[in-house]
Amino acid sequence: MASIDTTSESARRPFEGRRVHLGDVVLQGVAGAAAAGATALVLLIAWKVVDGARPSISKFGISFVWHDVWNPVVGREAYGAASFLFGTAITSFVALLLAAPLAIGIALFLTELAPRVLRGPVTSLVETLAAIPSVVVGLWGILVLGPALRSHVEPWLHSALGWIPLFGPPSSAGASIFTAIVVLTIMILPIVSSISRELFLGVPAELKEGALALGTTRWEMVRGVVFPYARGGIAAALILGLGRAMGEAIAVTQVIGGGTTISWNLFNQGDTLASKIAAEYQGATSNLDVASLIYLGLILLVLSLGANIAAQWIVRGVARRHGVTRGGRA
Amino acid sequence: MPNLGTSIRIVTALAAAAALAAAGAGAASATPAKQLTTLNGAGSSLIAPALAVWGPAYTKAAGVEVNYSSVGSGAGIAAITAKTVDFGASDAPLTPDQASACGDCVQIPWALSATVPTYNIPGLHSGQLKLDGPTLAKIFLGRITNWDDPAVKKLNAGVRLPNLKITTVHRSDGSGDTYAFTDYLSHVSSQWASQVGTATSVSWPGGVGGAKNPGVAAVIASTPGAIGYISVAYVIQNHLDWARMKNSAGNFVLASAPDIEAAAQSVKTVPAGNKMSIVDPPKNAKFKNAWPLSTFTYVIVHTVTPQAQALRKFIFWALTPKAQRLINNSFLVFAPIPTVVLSAAERTLNKVHA
Amino acid sequence: MSAQELTARSDGLRRRRAVNRSMELLAWVAALIAVAILGVVVFDVGRRGWSELNWNLLTKQPIPFSFTNAPQGLANAFAGTLVIVGLATAMALPVGILVAIYLNEFAPPRIRNGVGLALDVLAGVPAIVVGIFVYSLLVVGGGGQSGIKAAFALAILMLPFVARTTIEVLALVPNALREASLGLGVPQWRTTVSIVLPRAVGGILTGTVLAVARVAGETAPLLFTSSLVGPQVGWNPAHALQTVPLAIFELSESPDPKDHARAWAAAFVLLLFILLASLTARWLATRSARKIAGR
Repeated sequence: MASIDTTSESARRPFEGRRVHLGDVVLQGVAGAAAAGATALVLLIAWKVVDGARPSISKFGISFVWHDVWNPVVGREAYGAASFLFGTAITSFVALLLAAPLAIGIALFLTELAPRVLRGPVTSLVETLAAIPSVVVGLWGILVLGPALRSHVEPWLHSALGWIPLFGPPSSAGASIFTAIVVLTIMILPIVSSISRELFLGVPAELKEGALALGTTRWEMVRGVVFPYARGGIAAALILGLGRAMGEAIAVTQVIGGGTTISWNLFNQGDTLASKIAAEYQGATSNLDVASLIYLGLILLVLSLGANIAAQWIVRGVARRHGVTRGGRA
Repeated sequence: MPNLGTSIRIVTALAAAAALAAAGAGAASATPAKQLTTLNGAGSSLIAPALAVWGPAYTKAAGVEVNYSSVGSGAGIAAITAKTVDFGASDAPLTPDQASACGDCVQIPWALSATVPTYNIPGLHSGQLKLDGPTLAKIFLGRITNWDDPAVKKLNAGVRLPNLKITTVHRSDGSGDTYAFTDYLSHVSSQWASQVGTATSVSWPGGVGGAKNPGVAAVIASTPGAIGYISVAYVIQNHLDWARMKNSAGNFVLASAPDIEAAAQSVKTVPAGNKMSIVDPPKNAKFKNAWPLSTFTYVIVHTVTPQAQALRKFIFWALTPKAQRLINNSFLVFAPIPTVVLSAAERTLNKVHA
Repeated sequence: MSAQELTARSDGLRRRRAVNRSMELLAWVAALIAVAILGVVVFDVGRRGWSELNWNLLTKQPIPFSFTNAPQGLANAFAGTLVIVGLATAMALPVGILVAIYLNEFAPPRIRNGVGLALDVLAGVPAIVVGIFVYSLLVVGGGGQSGIKAAFALAILMLPFVARTTIEVLALVPNALREASLGLGVPQWRTTVSIVLPRAVGGILTGTVLAVARVAGETAPLLFTSSLVGPQVGWNPAHALQTVPLAIFELSESPDPKDHARAWAAAFVLLLFILLASLTARWLATRSARKIAGR
């Protein structure tokens, strides 16, 4: 999470202008080296990924991004990221679309509506869910959720909404893009809702009380005061959720079914950038295959870092506007 | 009439009883002796059942522990190339690229088994569905999409085929089973050969992916209408049903050990790199029952390796008739490797040194 | 004000109230759905895991390709997870604390912002990419997989987490303490080590426990760094070691219900550990908040 640090410099650094001891130099040196190391690590990761992808980059260039073949057969090798980009996009965006209203609803419920006795337990439940490892969600997804969706939900959605291409004929396998979407929704729901909750809690009480005193209903107060105040933060929370969904490899690999084609039918199988890497990286057939899988990793890295930095940027902007201090969170 | 599924279950139960006794004996001696030499291997999930038997047996015989990780042939090749393990195992021979990447690697055929078309059609037990190569290819090309398709019906006169959508299931990892399967389809279907080709991992026209043999088995077991390909040992272990395949002699056969052995008889000479393909073996009056999806499986080692002595001993041991017999039974279904291949294997093994 | 205007206003009010009620209802429904989904997942894992739980899980090793009903466990995975997560903590904790000390006590603002950004970026790197990174940096051509390399990958995921929480805790330590110590002529390093850090230790521990809970269930980076494993129980981090999340991953893709049973049981144990860790962390947090404030 972003540090929002506006403590004044002089107050934070009472050491300025003191006699320098050897120990000071040593501690500063060691600690500084650690900080430099952490920074260098980021660059090293980026470099190593670019370097590993280089054979594929030089062979396919940027057109790798929109080509949708993935053919590792010797003599016909051709690689492109399009179908995995599509899978990543459709799973993470639809998951976000489902998670966003639920998460904001939960956050509103917890801050404005819920009776005191419910707030504690529900908050704990949500926080607990954020801590469930993805492999456990995936286990549940493949053994419980997938078969249930296939047998009950998918046929129903198809018969009710079949005219929308997204809800085509159900697959007979439990693994599908749809299962992956539901699993991702479950995984990002706690993240988005706990950030939103903190944002709503951060809305100054006097603003809310002021609005209510003017005779607004609770909803009008939320719409007129809470949402505008927390808007930037919610956007950041959603982007963070999106980043999380895009980067999730294991749970998605377990439930998405390793389909090979671009399909708008959510009940078909698919693959995402992350799940493709997880499924195939170990058994890649040639150097070009390995490099192309790392190229997928590079695209994933760029996307998730983009999302992450965008979220930080929004948070910092909001913090500046509101003049929130670092302690405000705790 | 007891169907095949039942009889397999009975055999399995008997085998289970035997293995239970063996496991009990094994557990008693499981307390680790000090400083066992350990050989680490990884790769093919087809050979994994054999190593599950060989490992404890060899530890008992030679005091060497064999630690095997069933990660798929592709991953096995990658692991031995990166020298992450002492030996790799693959059912697919190394491609020229892989061979050069692996450096001084040699591949030694050390077992013989089969991959089988496995299906989930309610009411249809093992052997009740008959398929031939071209039909199988059309199914996996997505040109036959329902079980009551005329092409399937024609092969299965008298069998009630349901009106059920076909879901093809393939391996999502790099796999020797995929190699054997696509090699076979390339032999029997020119469209498959030109559109898809032969490799451990191909560009599938459609279908669902599963990780390694267990993953494919899981998808098939849970998906009505599914068909995939699985190493025969896993089919038996998981009580799945598999198809009779028409071989080039025109017979419908069911991948028993003798059928697999018959297919291997098509090897007359072993080429220098030990690369052999025995899928769709030519018609032969002597071996009318050859299973058309049989495959050798290879152990891959570096010629120069610090573990040379232990590796040579272990692989020689695995090639002995005694070791081959351990995995040639009704629930593991590895056929003994033919003499000509055996001597080629031993010749290659002699090159390995420290 | 005419009677007509009054009715119009009360109509408006009624409408506004109706909108308010329906929106409140929607929030209730959203909360209910979300809680139901989340509850079902936790409950289901708990129920299935609990019924499959027994000592064999922790004490017996798996038997590959078993045709028998001989009891199997995941002793190798639990041993490996202990070793790897322990090592990862040993790597990430000191570095994370040092980074935090530097940023909070020494760094000029520009560097603080720069390194802070780097930490945020590091926290945003997908776990699978960290796996690729460690694989191509250390595993290929570097003697293969090992527990240490897996621990290194997990440490990368822990580092920003530990550093961030430590920074927050250090910032809470009252400056009066630092000033008093310095005023007594104590050098800065001793002030940091024996005045500031002891105050913050509870908070740092909280962050560490949470970080451990987070990475204990992490699977993706282990896939390439510590996955070529046999069933034997091993404690030597120089070799690849099986881990609980990877075992769950593999068992979840098996067709065998007995494998599923073990996966549920292992997931249950993992979840229990994470819950206990979170509770411990919360308890530590309340305790340390009191201590930092000096009360």
